[in-house]
Amino acid sequence: MKKNTLPGRIVPEILLSAFGLLFMYPVILMVINSIKPFREVVMDVIALPGKIEYQNYLYVIKYINYPRLFLNNFLITALGIGGIVLFSSMAGYMLSRHKNGFTKFAYLFCIVPMLIPFQTIMITLLKVSKTLGLSESIPGLGIQYWGFGIPMAVFIYSGFVGTIPREIDESALIDGASTVGTFFKIIFPLLRSITATVIALDVMWIWNDFLLPLLMVNGSVKTKTLTLAAYTFVGQYNTQWHYTMTAMVLAVFPSILFFIFMQKYIIKGVVSGAVKG
Amino acid sequence: MKSIGQRKTNKLEIVLFILPCLILVGVIFYTPFILSMFYSLTQWNGIAKEPVFIGLRNFIRLFTGDSGFVSSIIFTSKYAFFYIISSNVIALALAVLLVKKLLTANILRAVFFVPYIMSMIIVGFIWRFIFSQGFNSLSAITGWGIFDMSWLGDPGLAFVSVVMVAVWQSLGFYMVIYIAGLQALPEDVLEAAVVDGASAPRKFFSITLPLLGPSITTCLFLSLTNSIKVFDIILALTAGGPGGSTYSVTYDIYREAFQNNNYGYGAAKSLVLFIIVAGITVIIMKGFRSREVEL
Repeated sequence: MKKNTLPGRIVPEILLSAFGLLFMYPVILMVINSIKPFREVVMDVIALPGKIEYQNYLYVIKYINYPRLFLNNFLITALGIGGIVLFSSMAGYMLSRHKNGFTKFAYLFCIVPMLIPFQTIMITLLKVSKTLGLSESIPGLGIQYWGFGIPMAVFIYSGFVGTIPREIDESALIDGASTVGTFFKIIFPLLRSITATVIALDVMWIWNDFLLPLLMVNGSVKTKTLTLAAYTFVGQYNTQWHYTMTAMVLAVFPSILFFIFMQKYIIKGVVSGAVKG
Repeated sequence: MKSIGQRKTNKLEIVLFILPCLILVGVIFYTPFILSMFYSLTQWNGIAKEPVFIGLRNFIRLFTGDSGFVSSIIFTSKYAFFYIISSNVIALALAVLLVKKLLTANILRAVFFVPYIMSMIIVGFIWRFIFSQGFNSLSAITGWGIFDMSWLGDPGLAFVSVVMVAVWQSLGFYMVIYIAGLQALPEDVLEAAVVDGASAPRKFFSITLPLLGPSITTCLFLSLTNSIKVFDIILALTAGGPGGSTYSVTYDIYREAFQNNNYGYGAAKSLVLFIIVAGITVIIMKGFRSREVEL
């Protein structure tokens, strides 16, 4: 029944590949121009570099203190995700297993903020964070991401806990295990596939997030994130495209690497997050 | 019968498991939200110690004497309209092509998804480079007029550029959702259509598309709420220019609060944004529910 003739298969293949290449062209241009000297960038953006200019990378890595920024991003993301996963899975477990007036209220209390745009609270959040000492610090940023990540994560976890048979934790409790022990030794391991989904989604979000660090962090390299540093770098080196493109590649590189290794979970996360959200 | 040593999760434990989330959400969302409601009724520049209570004057000014806010609402609505249509149509088309058994399907799926994993700020800067420098070179090589146009300097074209870059960045996200939807379609129904002699377009519009309803609604909803909140791409690509023609609502709020230091007035604007987003979400959710009942 199906048209399996050779042209019928190859033509869409070629057209789509061509479109894919065109789609990627901006990314390709970014990489090409990050290894060119300034003169060549200005003369011809399209041309391949005459010789590879490592100097751009050495300069930008040193100037923005890339290792430090990378560490900052890593710490903020790790701390943020750790808290989101821990607190949301605990709450999701109880919210799903025990239905009463309190848990119904708590569930709504946790997920209704999904309706609140970040920009609605950003002005006063800055004030709250300053009062609590959460601005201008890496742990402070991580803790704020706990709050921002919880609504979605609680929603996903409490939905997933419902698919785990009650008998599993009930029998553990009957055997005398503590509630905390039952959760961490029995339930939490069973949640690992959905935990991977939550991690994949939240890594992409926190690692790339821009507005919260922009509001909370003022200048110091000790607390700057990668994206924020790239933003201020472009502000300073406005038209020095060879440097700005280098900074872009450096900022994007970790995300691409993460995507390559976590592709399966990211795609799964996007789908389940979207369908449930 | 309860055996000795049996434990049951007690009420205190339930509360303790949930409490961290309640506190965090309370501090991060509800406290600033309530403070925003308070500050929206004041005039406060963030420097003066005490905000001055001025009642509803911020809100009155918003809708009567602020052409900037009104035009940012118009821009955002226009942007949302074109962004939703183009991103969904292109993403759906790509998804339909990429669920076929192509050799390159997996690579191409990854290719179209890559921009989505990059920060929108970075995406904005890359495209600013393409529009300003890349197009110069392309114009020199091809001689085509479209590369000579001022894609970021002309208000009309800047609008097109913003929509295009936003679609480029997020296309893969919607495509992935559509692919998942297409893969979940019942094979037998589709095959029955082919057996009955339905043409490919007929099959797509009469069977695939209606069956894809849930995925389409999800993508429309997500693209709508995302487009209302558009901020990063505009900041990096046009910074609101040229001549303030690409200020979105969120950008306008950001500028009001952090550049003009009108915190009270900014808070009033931010509440209007909340009412728009929450209103749309609630209406759409209700739509979802009533349809589910019908089915």
